[in-house]
Order: sequence, then C-alpha cells, then structure tokens
Amino acid sequence: MNQIASQNAPSPKVVVPHFIFGALTWLMVTILIIFHPEAFTQHYFNAELLAITHLLVLGWITMIIFGALYQLLPVIMEVKLYSETLAKISFLLMAIGTILLSLAFWHFSFGPLMFIAGISIVISVSLFVANALLTAHSSNKNVIERTFIVSSVIWLLFTVLAGLTLAINLSHPFLKVSHVELLKLHAHAGLVGWFVQLIIGVSSKLLPMFMVSHHVNTKKLNFSFYTINIGLPIGIIALYLQYKIGVVFSAIMVVAGIVGYLSFLLASYKKRVKKQLDIGMKQSALSFVFLVIPLFLIFTLLLNIDFLNRLTLPLSVAYGSAIVIGFITSLVMGQTYKTLPFIVWLKVYQGKVGKVILPLPKDLYSEKLAIAQVWLFAIGFGFLLIGISTTNTTLVMVSGILLLLSVAFYNLNILKIVLHKPTNK
Amino acid sequence: MDTEEMKILEMLKKVIDPELMVNIIDLGLVYGATFDAAGRQIDVALTLTSPGCPMGGIIIEDAQQTLESNYPGFNVNINLVWEPAWSIERLSAKGKAELGFS
Repeated sequence: MNQIASQNAPSPKVVVPHFIFGALTWLMVTILIIFHPEAFTQHYFNAELLAITHLLVLGWITMIIFGALYQLLPVIMEVKLYSETLAKISFLLMAIGTILLSLAFWHFSFGPLMFIAGISIVISVSLFVANALLTAHSSNKNVIERTFIVSSVIWLLFTVLAGLTLAINLSHPFLKVSHVELLKLHAHAGLVGWFVQLIIGVSSKLLPMFMVSHHVNTKKLNFSFYTINIGLPIGIIALYLQYKIGVVFSAIMVVAGIVGYLSFLLASYKKRVKKQLDIGMKQSALSFVFLVIPLFLIFTLLLNIDFLNRLTLPLSVAYGSAIVIGFITSLVMGQTYKTLPFIVWLKVYQGKVGKVILPLPKDLYSEKLAIAQVWLFAIGFGFLLIGISTTNTTLVMVSGILLLLSVAFYNLNILKIVLHKPTNK
Repeated sequence: MDTEEMKILEMLKKVIDPELMVNIIDLGLVYGATFDAAGRQIDVALTLTSPGCPMGGIIIEDAQQTLESNYPGFNVNINLVWEPAWSIERLSAKGKAELGFS
C-alpha cells in the first residue's frame, strides 16, 4: 500500500509563519506604493524601487513559496520533509535578511548593513536548498515536476549569490560590466530560473490534481525544461558579454518553453473533471492571462522599435511589474486558498472526525472577501500598468490604494484561516 | 452484493471528498465492501483520485468513523488500493452532475 500524502505533512508551525510574514510584507508594499508612487515612474535602478522589489520577491513571494514547498514537497515527492529545524532557521534568517536588505536599499547604503543582509539571505537560501535537495534525494519519484523543482532551487542559490556579488560590487567595484546590465542578469536568473521554473514544477503537479485532470501528456514539460535551461544560461552569458543576438535567442528559447508549459496547462484544463473553478483557481487562471503581457513586452523591448524608444524605461518597469505583481503575486494569492485552508484544516480535524462538526476547507475563509480581493487586485494591477507606462504617479497611487484594499481582504482571510477553531458536536 | 453491503455503501455517501465536495460513492472511490457478521468484520476497498491527494488521511478517517459508529463492536478495515487506478468513468451520473458535467 502506498503511504498517504497527509502522513508526510510537516508541522503547521513550520509552514504558517511563512504565510503570515509574506502576507504582511505584501501589505507593507502596497502602503509604500501609495506613499512613493514615483518609485515606479523613474529609471528602474532607483533606491525605492529596489527596496520594494526585494520586499516583494524575497519577503512576500519567496517566503510564501518556502512555506508552501515545505508542505508540498512531501506531496509531490511522496516522502517526509528532510528537516523541520533547518526550515525554521531558514525562515528566521530570510525574515531578518529581507528587512535589513530593504532598509539598506531604501537608504541607498551599500555598506555593512547590505553585506550582513546579503549573507543572512544567502545562508537562509543555502539551508532551504539543502533541505529541498535532501528531500528530493530521498524520493524515488523521478518525474519532470521534481526535475523542475531541483533546477529552480539551484537557480535560486545562483540568484542570491549573484545578488551578493552585485552588492559587493556596488561598494567595491571590481566587475567591468555596467551595473544596470548585471542587474538584468540577476533579475532574470531569479524570475525565470527560480520563480518560473518552480511554478512550472509545482503547478504541473498540483493544478491537474486540483482540477482532477488525468492522462495529460507531460512531453511538453520536457520540452519546456530543456528550452528554459538552455536558453537562460545563454541569456545570462550574453547579458554579461553584452551580446545582443544571444539575449534575443535566449528570450525566444525561454518564451517557447513557457508557451509549452501554458499549452500543458490548457490541456489539463480541457480534461478537468471538476468543471467549476473555485475562487483560488479563478485568481490563478487570471495570473496566467497576465503572464501574456511580459511575454509580449520582452520582444517589444528587445526589438528597439523606433517609435517606442522613449517608452523603453517605463515599459521595462511595466515588464518587471507584470511578472512580479501581475503573474507571480496573483498566482500566489490564488494558490494560498488552495493550500493554507487545507494545511490548517488537516491540523485541526485529523483525528477528530466524529467528535466535532466537520466543515469543508473552503468554509475556513470568507468567499465574499476573496471575490472582492480578486476584483480589486485585477483593477488595481490594470491601473498600475497604465500608470507605469504613462509615468503618471496619480494612477500608480490609485493602483496602490486598490491593491492595499485587495491585500487587506487577503490578510483578513489569512487571519480567519490560521485562527480557525473547531466546533464541538 | 447482499443487503448489508448495500447499506454500507449507502452510509458511505455521508463521506465527502473535501476538495471536490462530492461523496466518495458518487465519485466512484469505493471499489467494494464486504460484511462478515460472524467474524464481526467490515472491509472496504477505497481509492483516491490521485496518489498524492493530501486529503487521503481524513477521507479514510471519516469513512472508518462513519462505519464504526453504525456498527459498534465491529472491526472496520479501510484498505487503500491503487489498482485499477481511478478514472472519470467511475463517476456516477449524480457525481458528474455535481461536478458540473453537462
């Protein structure tokens, strides 16, 4: 008999703090957008945008991914998490590192504070990577999802090491390449190597499971894996050597890989048994619609179209925002409703069936709040993109208010879920 | 299938898959049930829609508890089976309707 996946689940004490820290960080970011909209309407290498970006990618997205992965790796690999202690230490170091790094960026200070923050993040990531790889190692499930996850965590380590190198280079310059070009290299290693690959690995297992889609051909995912992992290193080297054709070739490869993945998801969607999508899956679907925006923008930016030249800088910020906020944030918010209620529900009700009233996991949060959250997010993100593209700070500020309301509703639901108590019969 | 086994399957309609929100009988997750009055033993063969299903533990617990409360003093065995793998064909007409099939 196979082991049941829920027997491998880690303690919620390991997982839940990641969700709470992540949700509060995202709330903090929306407040910063309201009070500092100019961060989004200048050159992307500005103190405020660097601080906001790192809060988003480390404090919000990576934090939630770490927490969710501690729960999901046992589901995907069908083994227990290697170490809960490593996970707890990694959480603390990531939380401290992110706060210090954002403060250092905000004050544009590249001294010891940034160095300490960088070291703290590198150690946190190293512990996470060791934990993930040792968990994967103990699994005999040699599937493409596992390959994507293993590759993504290695790219994460590369990304934070590159980030630390850049931080040192800012205070003690030793690299001959322009800092802006190095920033693109660091950003794409993180966005594509870490986030996109991790999302492909996890979602290609979970989304068909949530939709109950059987017999979906995974060959397209093999294609995606090779195109991304050949295309991305070519792009990194080409960016370092400033070899434009190499960057364009890399973009074509990576986008082809992402299209292959989207085609796999579409096939899963068409074969789904569960026809009605719940609110978590609807926001996730929305995130894939938003993903189309950066896929177009990347070629618009690379092709240097004459009449768009004066828009290069705003479109670059729009491109990054469309990936980080439009795609990844929206997906993380949606998938929170597919993971956190189940984590808490299992913890509260396992072993208590028959003794207490058993609700459904979806009863742990308010669906009305979740629906309002999705609408506010979609409209807020629309305003943000228009505000960035037209360098209109008022529109960016309005987007910040809408996103703040969306995140406030999201946080209320998270609070409702983690504070859930059973009702006796 | 005798009357007691039919009754067991009817009772298991109270066990809901928390993700799909359809009972495990209409989902076709129960492959069979045997009732041994003399040996005071009930065996149920149950599968899940996916081996990774994180809800597995609680579905089994719910099924076990439902039968134990209806048959005090009986030994209830819920056996998790993976062969044949569950497929869409196992859904009942009611299960299909609840999942939104036209």
